[in-house]
Amino acid sequence: MAELLMPAAEGLYAAIGELVAASEASLQHFDFQGDDPSILLRDFLTELLILFERDQRRLVEVVDAAFVESRLTVKAKTAPVELERSAFHREVKAITYHELSIREGPGGYEATFIVDI
Amino acid sequence: MADNYTGPLERIDSTRWRIPKSYKLGMRVDGVIYADDKLIDAIKGDKSPEQVANVACLPGIVKYSLAMPDIHWGYGFCIGGVAATDPQKGGVISPGGVGYDINCGVRLIRTNIKLTDAKVQMGKLVEEMFNTVPCGVGRGGVVKFSKPELRKLMAEGSRFVVKRGFGWDSDIEATEAHGCISDADPDSLSDRALSRGSDQCGTLGSGNHFMEIQVVERIDDAKAAGAMGLVEGNLTVMIHSGSRGLGYQVCEDALKDLQHTPRKYGIELPDKQLVCAPVDSPEGQSYLGAMRAAANFAWCNRQIMTHLAREAFSNIFGLPAEKLGMTLVYDVAHNIAKMEPYEVDGKTCQLCVHRKGATRAFPPGHPELPERYRGIGQPVLVPGDMGRASYVLTGQPGSMEHTFGSSCHGAGRRMSRGAAIRASRGRSIKKELADRGVIARARGRTGLEEEQPDAYKDVNQVVDVLHAAAISHRVARLRPVGVIKG
Repeated sequence: MAELLMPAAEGLYAAIGELVAASEASLQHFDFQGDDPSILLRDFLTELLILFERDQRRLVEVVDAAFVESRLTVKAKTAPVELERSAFHREVKAITYHELSIREGPGGYEATFIVDI
Repeated sequence: MADNYTGPLERIDSTRWRIPKSYKLGMRVDGVIYADDKLIDAIKGDKSPEQVANVACLPGIVKYSLAMPDIHWGYGFCIGGVAATDPQKGGVISPGGVGYDINCGVRLIRTNIKLTDAKVQMGKLVEEMFNTVPCGVGRGGVVKFSKPELRKLMAEGSRFVVKRGFGWDSDIEATEAHGCISDADPDSLSDRALSRGSDQCGTLGSGNHFMEIQVVERIDDAKAAGAMGLVEGNLTVMIHSGSRGLGYQVCEDALKDLQHTPRKYGIELPDKQLVCAPVDSPEGQSYLGAMRAAANFAWCNRQIMTHLAREAFSNIFGLPAEKLGMTLVYDVAHNIAKMEPYEVDGKTCQLCVHRKGATRAFPPGHPELPERYRGIGQPVLVPGDMGRASYVLTGQPGSMEHTFGSSCHGAGRRMSRGAAIRASRGRSIKKELADRGVIARARGRTGLEEEQPDAYKDVNQVVDVLHAAAISHRVARLRPVGVIKG
């Protein structure tokens, strides 16, 4: 699960555009409860979407993450998006539940999520 | 989701196809899709007919699960779907039947300006509109509302912003539901929904949202066009946007809150994206209250943009918007659920009509229509694509008989966004549009590619089906001359 967080975030950001992070990052904690890892991943991505939309910040590094007893905790670095150096393609409305899945593939865990734009 | 539909489609007549309720266990009514022979082949290209069948499984659904000719795959419900449920018979409300962009809709403003008189200024006008109306990712609005102001705005709808100078009193009469659905419950919105909406009222957004300057290219119904003030050769402005982040968050919150509700009420669903609650349940009423609040926000959003568009025109033509004749023709929602009365089995019932990518199309004489449209029917605004055309139609009696007072909402996509971008390689969509006489400005890098004309079905075909089916009649064809995209 932890290994999926950063690639999934990059997938979300790729849908929005090319988001260039400023150098001044700060630590942020995320905490989610639930039994279904794919829904927890969706919840994490939804937090990132709001973080971008409301505060113009993006994830730059997952420092630590744990999925224990129906709880996902993430310690991560986020940084402001440099609006002038970034390119924006489209607005993402939401991360949907459609075809949401996490599975083990030959190269490690893979996740599928579909965004509404 | 791109898989073909291989289930049954039985021809009813030249404009309708049936998915019989025997197709799938749990279907309570037939599915009915409006399409001609050409469109039905395209419609079978994705799983949207399967979604029509799934919606037919919803408790309390009345008569049939419907789809308009612009049907394509959507989240839970197809886009172009219409479903009416009867609360007296356990009928449900489903956020998937409204969509993330609550009260996404279209409005049309007429003008006295002839295209021939404005051609020289068209480039400047498009630029002025582009700079005046906030559009694209992360663009905040020209006015910011505090949380208490937002709650008041959502309770009062369009009137709230008109009172503050963003429009004219006549705009309110020309807006569906007068720009305010009653029984909105702004207090039920999450803090997150309010914060997403605080600086987005009066912003276009991105994706398929747009602002277009158009010319009335052809009049099909002179009487109706006259009532709407549409004159061949004159400019119009069309605005397509919705409830922005606030509405998306209302849907997001509802989908989460309602996850376990079907089980609580013993409702079995073929697709968990159809999560729903009985209309009369606390959960159903809670969603409806929040959805109505978001719908009222959307009307304020389009109202503020109307004001900004008038300002832009006024700046370029050096006359007040009143002198330019920029009255609102109409504003219609195409993602909404509303309680409306219909006759079922000889009795008048209040039904919960879900329109997801479908436009209300009330016929002549309907009491909800403003006086000036009582004799012709409700204006139905159907944006096509940014290279070909859009249409103004009027609702006809057939809509009340067959489609719960509904018509289509657009051309309907025929290409995914990825496919549209791939199809654009080596081309300049902006130049191609310019060659067709359309000046386009877009904030996002891929907006024009994703929304290129080829990405959409031919709106002429879509409109023809509903004209032939006597659901809505053609009034005027509008050709784009200037496009603003997010």
